[in-house]
Amino acid sequence: MMRVLNICVIGALVLAAADVYKIKFESTRQAQRVAKLRLEIRRERDAVAALRAEWAKLDNPARIQDLARRHLALKPVDSRQIDPLDNLPERPPDLVPVDEPDPIGTVIANPEVLDRSATGSVPAETR
Amino acid sequence: MWMTAPVVDQPAPAREPRRRRFVASLLYGRNVDRAAKTRARIGLAVLIFALGYAVIATRLAMFAAVPEGHGSRRAIGQDAVATARPDILDRNGEILATDVRTPSLFAEPQRIIDVDEASELLTAVMPDIDAAELRARLASKRRFVWLKREITPEQRAQIYRLGIPGIGFLPENKRIYPNGAEVSHLIGHVNIDNQGIAGIEKWLDTRGLADLHLAGLATDRLQKPVELAVDLRVQHALRDELIAARATFKAVAAAGLLTDVRTGEIISMVSVPDYDPNNPRQALDPSRINRLTTGVFEMGSTFKALTVAMALDSGKITLKSAFDASHPLQYGKFAIHDFHAQNRVLTVPEIFTYSSNIGTARMALSLGIEHHKWFLRKMGQLDRLRTELPESAEPLVPKRWAELNTVTIAFGHGLSVAPLQAVAAIGALMNGGRLIPPTFLKRSEAEARALGTQVVKPETSDKMRYLMRLNVEKGTATRADVKGYYVGGKTGTSDKVVGGRYSKTKVLTSFTAVLPADQPRYLLLIMLDEPQATPDTHGFTTSGWNAVPVGGAVISRIAPLLGLGPRFELPPADKLILASVGGR
Repeated sequence: MMRVLNICVIGALVLAAADVYKIKFESTRQAQRVAKLRLEIRRERDAVAALRAEWAKLDNPARIQDLARRHLALKPVDSRQIDPLDNLPERPPDLVPVDEPDPIGTVIANPEVLDRSATGSVPAETR
Repeated sequence: MWMTAPVVDQPAPAREPRRRRFVASLLYGRNVDRAAKTRARIGLAVLIFALGYAVIATRLAMFAAVPEGHGSRRAIGQDAVATARPDILDRNGEILATDVRTPSLFAEPQRIIDVDEASELLTAVMPDIDAAELRARLASKRRFVWLKREITPEQRAQIYRLGIPGIGFLPENKRIYPNGAEVSHLIGHVNIDNQGIAGIEKWLDTRGLADLHLAGLATDRLQKPVELAVDLRVQHALRDELIAARATFKAVAAAGLLTDVRTGEIISMVSVPDYDPNNPRQALDPSRINRLTTGVFEMGSTFKALTVAMALDSGKITLKSAFDASHPLQYGKFAIHDFHAQNRVLTVPEIFTYSSNIGTARMALSLGIEHHKWFLRKMGQLDRLRTELPESAEPLVPKRWAELNTVTIAFGHGLSVAPLQAVAAIGALMNGGRLIPPTFLKRSEAEARALGTQVVKPETSDKMRYLMRLNVEKGTATRADVKGYYVGGKTGTSDKVVGGRYSKTKVLTSFTAVLPADQPRYLLLIMLDEPQATPDTHGFTTSGWNAVPVGGAVISRIAPLLGLGPRFELPPADKLILASVGGR
């Protein structure tokens, strides 16, 4: 009885030792992987920082201004060129309903809708 | 325990040998239950062993749980000599300063076999290095010498391929300022070991970064970036205009400052000539100092805004009060003249728009020296203004403050302050009367409200904005009336002191503008040091001919960047701003 128990215990011990070894081995492998990934992350982060620095250098307003002056015909915006949205005229009424599948056909079929298309610059009577 | 065990096992004491009986009689008394005693001892031994194993088990668990700290710390210590600093961003997240990792070359001279060969090979790769010095370093007896800090990756690869023993690389963090001179005075710069030695960089170090470095902790770039209040686009626009103005008027220097009057944030600060922080040696040139914080100036007529505000805030003087400016103010052997002399009695708004020295002097005199001093101290003009920047200048206050001092200080002579200080005070006159300490860091309005102190009444602030706007509508600052932004402003021209006397030709002109004057958001200061007359200015060097048009150009350029929509067809100042005050 005692002998069977002892053998069982020894067997369990060996199994446990094997398992612990396996875990230990696996953890070492994982630790190495973590270290490698950390190094890679660090390298990537350094590369990102270098690229961001380069981008900031290329995006520098003085450089952009110089390029714009040389290659574009644009000029700084004047305050008179800015208008608030409130000054936009009202949107003209739709000629045909928005969900109409054949809008052009509808206008041809009912030419009288065009008379409603008066806008600020195009009076109704010239149509 | 092990000593007594064989004794316990003996069943009959009678048959024991003599020696053993003697030992037993030494160990036990005559009538002791030896079995009970033994059991107790075994129990004790079990307890001690159990404790021992428990300690071992906990240590094992601790080793398993905590990663080995020793090795990793050594690795960090090896690869980052110049430690990392947090990135500095502008208010929109644009990078102003960042770290880039670059390799540095070092040698361990004791391990070098052939000094001549090594120095020859190295100079072939790096032609710019001093060959004699390199050789001396390699031949030295030291254990570690830097050969070259911050080499390029290509050089690194080439040297690596040479395979010289005793030569190695350490990656170091190099500070990069991608915008060059654009924000130089503001962020400052670092030395070769990445320690801040000027500007915001130095401030970062005094905030505990230096201690982190010493502890070897601040090596990674995971530190939170520092966000400043400065707007890079506005900064560029202001600098661009100032450089152009400096060239046009052949000025010694030009400076500009833009603050948010509601929060005290410094949106832009430029002082040209400036320097490139990537090449900090230029910063040593004394002509490149930051005139806005490290220089003190007599602000000239700009100071009249403070005098008039003091008068209006006292309650004794209203906008309808009048002062006699019909003849120069005689004070001992000094006579105070007006530049735009009207030679008649002037009301307060007229004094402000004609920039009358006599009028403001009489105004200050009527309130007395003590009141004047008290008010200026309250506005922070007599004490050193401290911001995040380590560089700051103490105002030059007269030691004995007599009536003559009050007379001259009333129109901005005889008291030299840092321009930033004057701007902070005028900002308080504009924003409803709260003096908010200026800052280079982002700040919310709520924080600013908590920090600020009420220095003048809100009505005084309304009246001051009315006067500022009036001055642009029909005073000395008409050339800054950018349509749509409702600019208000005060000009200032002060004679510079040259050799202890006021010079007639060398002047310092300034222009302080608030925009928009009815709903104040921003305060702009433009300063030109010794501007020269040009054909366009008809020989004048006063502020209205140089600093004011520059201010106008700057405003029309930066207002869209600041998100200010132009508003046209606004009524004149007396209708729009004064109406809210309700009478005068």
